[in-house]
Amino acid sequence: MGVEDGEPLDEKAKRMRDLLSSFYSPDLPSASLRPNASFSRFATLDTINATSFDADHYMNLLVQKANLEELLKKHVEMASEIKNLDTDLQTLVYENYNKFISATDAIKRMKNNINGMEAKMEQLTEKMMSVQSRSDGVNTSLLAKREHVEKLHCTRNLLRKVQFIYDLPTRLEKCIKSEAYADAVKFYTGAMPIFKAYGNSSFQDCKRASEEAVGIIVKNLQGKVFSDSESIKARAEAVMLLNQLNFPVETLKLKLFEKLEQFLLDLHLEYKDLKDASADVNELPNQGNVNVSASAAAHEASIHEFAEALRAYRVIFLHSEPQLFKLAQDLVMKEFEAAHQQIKKQLCSADLLAILRVIWTDVLLLDKVLPGAALPDFTMQAALIAVKDYITCALSHLLLDISDAFSKILGMQKEGTEEVHPLQTAFEASKKAVIQGSMDVLLDFHHLLNENSELLLKLRGFTMDWVQEGFQNFFRKVHNYFLLLCGKSNSASQDRNLIEGVPGDKVPAGLVLVVAQLCHFIENSAIPRITEEIASSFSGGGVRGFEYGPAFVPAEICCTFRADGEMFLHLYIKMRTQRIAVILKKRFTTPNWVKFEAIGAEAKQILPQGLHHKHHRTDSNGSTTSSRGSTLRDSRMSRSNTQKARSQLLEAHLAKLFKQKMEIFTKTENTQESVITTILKLSLKSLQELVRFQTFNRSGFQQIQLDIQFLKSTLKDIAEDEAAVDFLLDEVIEATTERCLDPVPLEPPILDRLVNAKLTKTSQ
Amino acid sequence: MQGGSTGVGYGLKYQARCISDVKADTDHTSFLTGTLSLKEENEVHLIRLSSGGTELICEGLFSHPNEIWDLASCPFDQRIFSTVFSSGESYGAAIWQIPELYGQLNSPQLERIASLDAHSSKIKCVLWWPTGRHDKLVSIDEQNLFLWSIDTSKKTAQVQSQQSAGMLHYLSGGAWDAHDVNAVALTCESSVQLWDLRTMKTTNSIQHAHVRNVDYDTKKKYMLVTAEDESGIHIWDLRKPKFPVSELPGHSHWTWTVKCNPEYEGLILSAGTDSAVNLWLVPPTSDDSALDSLVESPTRRVEPLLHSYTDYEDSVYDLAWSSREPWIFASLSYDGRVVVESIKPHLPKK
Repeated sequence: MGVEDGEPLDEKAKRMRDLLSSFYSPDLPSASLRPNASFSRFATLDTINATSFDADHYMNLLVQKANLEELLKKHVEMASEIKNLDTDLQTLVYENYNKFISATDAIKRMKNNINGMEAKMEQLTEKMMSVQSRSDGVNTSLLAKREHVEKLHCTRNLLRKVQFIYDLPTRLEKCIKSEAYADAVKFYTGAMPIFKAYGNSSFQDCKRASEEAVGIIVKNLQGKVFSDSESIKARAEAVMLLNQLNFPVETLKLKLFEKLEQFLLDLHLEYKDLKDASADVNELPNQGNVNVSASAAAHEASIHEFAEALRAYRVIFLHSEPQLFKLAQDLVMKEFEAAHQQIKKQLCSADLLAILRVIWTDVLLLDKVLPGAALPDFTMQAALIAVKDYITCALSHLLLDISDAFSKILGMQKEGTEEVHPLQTAFEASKKAVIQGSMDVLLDFHHLLNENSELLLKLRGFTMDWVQEGFQNFFRKVHNYFLLLCGKSNSASQDRNLIEGVPGDKVPAGLVLVVAQLCHFIENSAIPRITEEIASSFSGGGVRGFEYGPAFVPAEICCTFRADGEMFLHLYIKMRTQRIAVILKKRFTTPNWVKFEAIGAEAKQILPQGLHHKHHRTDSNGSTTSSRGSTLRDSRMSRSNTQKARSQLLEAHLAKLFKQKMEIFTKTENTQESVITTILKLSLKSLQELVRFQTFNRSGFQQIQLDIQFLKSTLKDIAEDEAAVDFLLDEVIEATTERCLDPVPLEPPILDRLVNAKLTKTSQ
Repeated sequence: MQGGSTGVGYGLKYQARCISDVKADTDHTSFLTGTLSLKEENEVHLIRLSSGGTELICEGLFSHPNEIWDLASCPFDQRIFSTVFSSGESYGAAIWQIPELYGQLNSPQLERIASLDAHSSKIKCVLWWPTGRHDKLVSIDEQNLFLWSIDTSKKTAQVQSQQSAGMLHYLSGGAWDAHDVNAVALTCESSVQLWDLRTMKTTNSIQHAHVRNVDYDTKKKYMLVTAEDESGIHIWDLRKPKFPVSELPGHSHWTWTVKCNPEYEGLILSAGTDSAVNLWLVPPTSDDSALDSLVESPTRRVEPLLHSYTDYEDSVYDLAWSSREPWIFASLSYDGRVVVESIKPHLPKK
């Protein structure tokens, strides 16, 4: 903002400006004093408003910097600004003067108004004094009378109380009559302190009377509490009143709970009836229905009653929840106990489901009444155990069934039943026991899963796991049982009861064979089927939170049973060969086998004897063949082509080996031929070993030679591996030659004739 | 690869059934073996393993009058041994002394110290007490047990006592407890009988059929190993004879003989008629956990078979551990082949 430079600022204008600035901004001069020097030195055109404004300096600066035109313009600007400022100044002065005048007027008015105030104040004080004195006078005159009135009032109150106490018994009686027990209790408790203080002296009679009345009241109240017909509210009130009368409510409570427990016991009995009834459903679907529905209704009613009672007690007795919870849990527990008993009796899953459903509805009902008891959780736990028990139970029953099948076999063999194919029947039966049994059990478990009730839905995951685990354990047990059955294990004392029928270590060889076949069957058919079933229904796919991995490991079981199968097969072979070896040994140890003198007549004795022995031997082979043939045929039919290929491979392998060295002890396949061949080979080897122990004379040697020749033609039909058998037969001959003092072989024609004679004789 | 290629072989002229370690020879590893030939003249071979262990040298070759069914070397005199022999119907047992004719292989005659000629039925075997010098000898025939008192210097043998095992028990062999000079185990058809030589009575028996051979564990008292016809090898604790402590699968055919290693505990050698020799290592079981291991052994036991020597042409009927070098054993197959093997490569690393 520029300032007119044409007009030099005179002394007056400067003074005026200072005055104004000191009036409107009093701190300005002191504030602007300090930067004075700087302003003088660095003066610009903007410093016109500063206090240290140097007009001459400003002028010089302006003249130096601006041209004429600008100077003229500045001049015009400044002139108009100065004019404006002058007008403003004038207005300000006028306004201030006006204010001053009005202030003077006000002061003048005030001076006039204050006069006469003092007198009025004095008057007021005087009047106040007189009022006070008068009121004091009234007070003193009324004091005596008022005291009297107060005393009278006290007396009246006392009298009224006494009257009340004297009236109490009648009043209580009246209350009893009208059943207004609440009032009565109120009155009595009101009078209680007085009775306590003066009850032994002045109010003795009164007290006795009212106590009698209260006694009646208590009795009535108690009756009310115990009566089920009264409304819950009334009973609750009664309990409250009794409590106010210092009556021992706890004992009451105990009594009531005892009653409730008794009720629970009765209920339990009814429940059992229901179980029986529901068990009957399966056997007698037509007759049982009515019975069941009736008993079910009864059960429902009693549960309702129980729930009502619980609700009532919960309202009636404060702080009784823990006990009630306990009662409710007892109920659930009892129901599950009953369920467990049923489970032990091998009930089917439908029954279990029915039971669980009933329990669950009961629990839901109770839960409505007692929400705090966490009954569903409790039930869940119990149900978990029940389902688990059920699964284990079912599987152990299955095991029992299988062992039953085996005991039947044993029994059959003991009695010597003349059945055509006892082993086949046994095998079929046990096979059926395994596969059908496990399928049934699985189906049963399936029902468990298909059930839509809330309880079981929650249990689903666990159930699946348990089913898997249960089967795993089941097969382990079957494995142990087989071991035990075949006398391979001495340890499983806890399962001893399973094989009570088995006589010590005398296990029939046929049984071992059946077991071996069964192992094979389990490995090849049962396990895949069960695995499939489990995978389709019981895999834990939909279940969250189970990180244990699958409990059912079919590979492991397969492995176990494959090993078992092989082991039992070997055991069977061992038993058979042992038997044959024993027969052979007996033959050799007969004293007249080798005798130097015995040539003539005895040779003839030995001949039929020896033949008979051989015959017997082939017989024993033959008998095993027939029984085994039927047993094995099925498994052979069902066996896949791969196994056939495998046995063919084995044959080829054998043939190759044969060129270098006779391989006698090959791995046994699970086929009829293989088993028989193995037995045969082992028997012939035993024969060879036994021959090596003996010393023969000529007739003995010839006898052996004849026997071998006979065996050659007979065994051809039986054995699979002809080459090996021939080799072994030759070995026997060779061994006999070595151990003979006089080895003169029979002429081949004689040999043939003798063999043919024998053959025709046996065929007849 | 197996058996023969690693072992050192030696061929006898005829078939043979028995081989014995010469225990008293502390300077060399030697074995005695005798042939079993019905028609030819039988021989007794004294074989010595060369110091390098690469060769079997015949130290002595002696003719023996009859075929030899059993042969046992005297544990305290290397020149004395016993044989059981037969020819046709006759049988006998004798104690022989090798004449001092070292280096000459001209079939010198064996000197017969004593004949054990009190037997009336077929003699099965003659036992020396395995641990040391003892003036008694046990001989077993099918029916009886004889205790002989022998004096090798005076060359006499007298029956000290004799007891019949009973008509129905056909004895087949036996073993003398190395820990107890009075205990002998005899195998018969249906059981193993444990005898006390002082009373000459059966003290106990293991009811187990078809036992073919029996051997006491030389390292561990009360331990007995049996070999059966069919079901392999069983290890028994004599204090608990009801159930075996442990069981080994044995051989494909009969397990003929079984021998415990004299030095390493649990090391068992077995031979069978399947022309194989198997080396087993039984994990040591403490007495307390014996039952537990029985229960759980099928699942957690490690494979006990260390090695199977299968390079034999015929059944192997006898084995002998060398007591001087206990990692060496000799096996004899029926075709008269002696194979000496070292088990060192098959021992588990420790």
